[in-house]
Amino acid sequence: MKQTLMGNDAIAWGLVHANVDMVSGYPGTPSSEILTEVQKIKYKLNLDIYAEWGTNEKVGFEVAYAGAIAGRRTCATMKQVGLNVASDALMSAAYIGNLGGMLLIAADDPGFHSSQTEQDSRVFAKFARIPVLDPATPQDAYDLTKYGVELSEKFQIPVMLRPVMRVCHAREIIEMDDETNFKPNKGEFKRDVPRWGAVPRKDRFPQGKEQLKRMEVIKEYNWENLLKKEFDKCEGKNKTLIITSGTGYGFTKETLSDLNLEADVVKILMPYPLPVAQIREKLKSYDKVLVVEEPYPCVEEQIAASNVFGKLTNSIHQIDEMSKEEILKAFQNIGLYSGKNIYETPAALNFEVEARPPALCPGCPHRDIYYAITKVFKKKKAIYPSDIGCYTLAIAQGAIDSILCMGASVSMASGFSLSDPDKTTVATIGDGTFFHSGIPPLLNAIYQNHKFILVILDNSTIAMTGRQTTPSRENKNIDIKKIVEGMGIDCMEHQYSYEMQDNIDFFKEVKKVHANATGPTVIVVREFCILDRERAPEFIPNIFAKVDPELCVACDQCTTIYKCPPMAYNDDGVIEIDPFLCAGCGGCLDVVCPTDAFVQDFDYLRRGN
Amino acid sequence: MKYQIVIAGFGGQGVVFLVKLLAICAGNRNIAFLGTENHGMSQRGGSVSCDIKIGDFTNPVIDKNQADLMIALEKNEGLRNVAFVKLEGTMVTNAKDKESYPELPFKAFAKIDAFKKAENGEFPIQGLNVYMLGIALVHDKTFPFNLEEVKTAITQMNAKVAEQNIKILDQAMKDAKESK
Repeated sequence: MKQTLMGNDAIAWGLVHANVDMVSGYPGTPSSEILTEVQKIKYKLNLDIYAEWGTNEKVGFEVAYAGAIAGRRTCATMKQVGLNVASDALMSAAYIGNLGGMLLIAADDPGFHSSQTEQDSRVFAKFARIPVLDPATPQDAYDLTKYGVELSEKFQIPVMLRPVMRVCHAREIIEMDDETNFKPNKGEFKRDVPRWGAVPRKDRFPQGKEQLKRMEVIKEYNWENLLKKEFDKCEGKNKTLIITSGTGYGFTKETLSDLNLEADVVKILMPYPLPVAQIREKLKSYDKVLVVEEPYPCVEEQIAASNVFGKLTNSIHQIDEMSKEEILKAFQNIGLYSGKNIYETPAALNFEVEARPPALCPGCPHRDIYYAITKVFKKKKAIYPSDIGCYTLAIAQGAIDSILCMGASVSMASGFSLSDPDKTTVATIGDGTFFHSGIPPLLNAIYQNHKFILVILDNSTIAMTGRQTTPSRENKNIDIKKIVEGMGIDCMEHQYSYEMQDNIDFFKEVKKVHANATGPTVIVVREFCILDRERAPEFIPNIFAKVDPELCVACDQCTTIYKCPPMAYNDDGVIEIDPFLCAGCGGCLDVVCPTDAFVQDFDYLRRGN
Repeated sequence: MKYQIVIAGFGGQGVVFLVKLLAICAGNRNIAFLGTENHGMSQRGGSVSCDIKIGDFTNPVIDKNQADLMIALEKNEGLRNVAFVKLEGTMVTNAKDKESYPELPFKAFAKIDAFKKAENGEFPIQGLNVYMLGIALVHDKTFPFNLEEVKTAITQMNAKVAEQNIKILDQAMKDAKESK
């Protein structure tokens, strides 16, 4: 049956068609839509599937892994940096293995589109010694999802699927199973203490030896079932071979076709473990071999030989995502192509355009809270560590000094407050990130009496990745304030107000409380997400703003510190509010403008907006 | 067939909607389709550009100097992505203050101040994506799908808002023909 699907939707269908009935993970671009699509299929077809977010990737992985130990077919989904969080569990699971198939999906983000690193999860699979599959397109992603689950069950080891963003968020018409005959495995935990409870060194050492043996077996399997036929397709008349993994295949094929070039092309579906001996034997009949893969030289490092070119020989780009222009340049570098760069911008089309970086949405409460924080805790005497989420975008307001990884705002606040005690450290973290990895560092700060302010921005959703639910949204018994109190300290609470003075007054109170504190001062600010159709309407006052041009003195305050997207200078040099963008939050009417030029636009709704 | 389209705009303008719509058009005619979408951080009001490749392709991304058509939902986003369009191609752009917008050397080039039309209440701003598609249908002589095919896909995509979207499409085509 033909279906038009985004890569992540194709993966979700692949899971269902592979009879996976436990899916757990943590949202992160570009992986997030996989689990939500499984949820949609579950409700649409009324299937008995567990498809729920974990509080973080490690938790998500462990839930799915235990399911696979008990014989179910399971899946854990996450983005590449999420795999760092789950890596402790993965490294050990790669020794112990599983009975039911378990697919670990780690979605990579070459080009840093939505991630703080460009790390290659295939290399992580190699590090953990588990097989990894690298799809080139949504069709591949569907096929390899099913294949990976089977492979995992066959070899009793977790298998990784590593789609990159250009697979996850590509849309393609794919061919998939006509029918969904969902027949999951029965779950039954079989006690096997030497395996599931393997103790060092007695049980782990033999598991380590088995692991090495298993990878040798899978290497052969890779050759016999996947790679040999790829090499057999090459007729041997070309002197150049291009070895590709994942998206490298599609980009290479098109570049060759655009440039009218001939070369043998091999598509590697399982970049680790590679049957290196067999591959090296094949490489001997070529003058030059180019490896096209992203983002790290995973395949290239395994097959390195004197006629192999790639990232290690500086023949192709080493950072940033794949493009045909980079492949063309690589062809030039290895002497396969000597013509002109057909992917160059024609001179007449070179325009410098002002950047439009992502910004907090109009009407987002984060903007007002950060504004209030920087008003009360002045920049010169403060340090603002922050965290990963939508609120990271407040960096444009000058309200964030450091970003590291999920949950680091709290532990870095500890470190900054210890190392530079003359300044007030004001850390910010979202509710999703607090649940993910903010709790252990806060416990540490309370235990060690680290003096800083922690502001938990609670909008009851994981907003950046598409508004997935948080633990406290699903279960009202879970409450951030109670969690903080349970750790032994008070938790101040503030309801976000669209009247800025209320927010400023609250933080002035926080400043007073903190002056006398001996440990961390923790605050939870109750907010909402403007894109949250369920909760936002009850909070939005529908107070739309316009500018009184007589009062605007073009002082830049709103465009540099408040930073709401509808505000921009018009041709007369006066700020104007874009009526298509204003959310009606009323946040700018008070305090934000020193000359009070923002006034309510009473006619806004009447004009049919 | 091989046809490549870049759709440029910023987060919230419904760029992805057009990717899905044209994917349905291709599917209905059983032509291969590869497209890119933007999700996550890039959605937060920042620049967004999606690529659509119809026909025999093996990767979803459009390289510079390759696209047959660009539909720009905002003038600066159009200029930002202009390098992806080949000179023999077509560009249609929404252009506020269109008098000051540079004349671009494409085979077919059209600019229209769609924001002003929306401000005047001629169509709802939420339909800007469909409106600009209508402009492209008039100006791009080689567009791979005809009006009926596009309308069918609009209905398949979301029957509830199809009537309004089709009205906007017709309106856009009328405006484009009048301003030609």
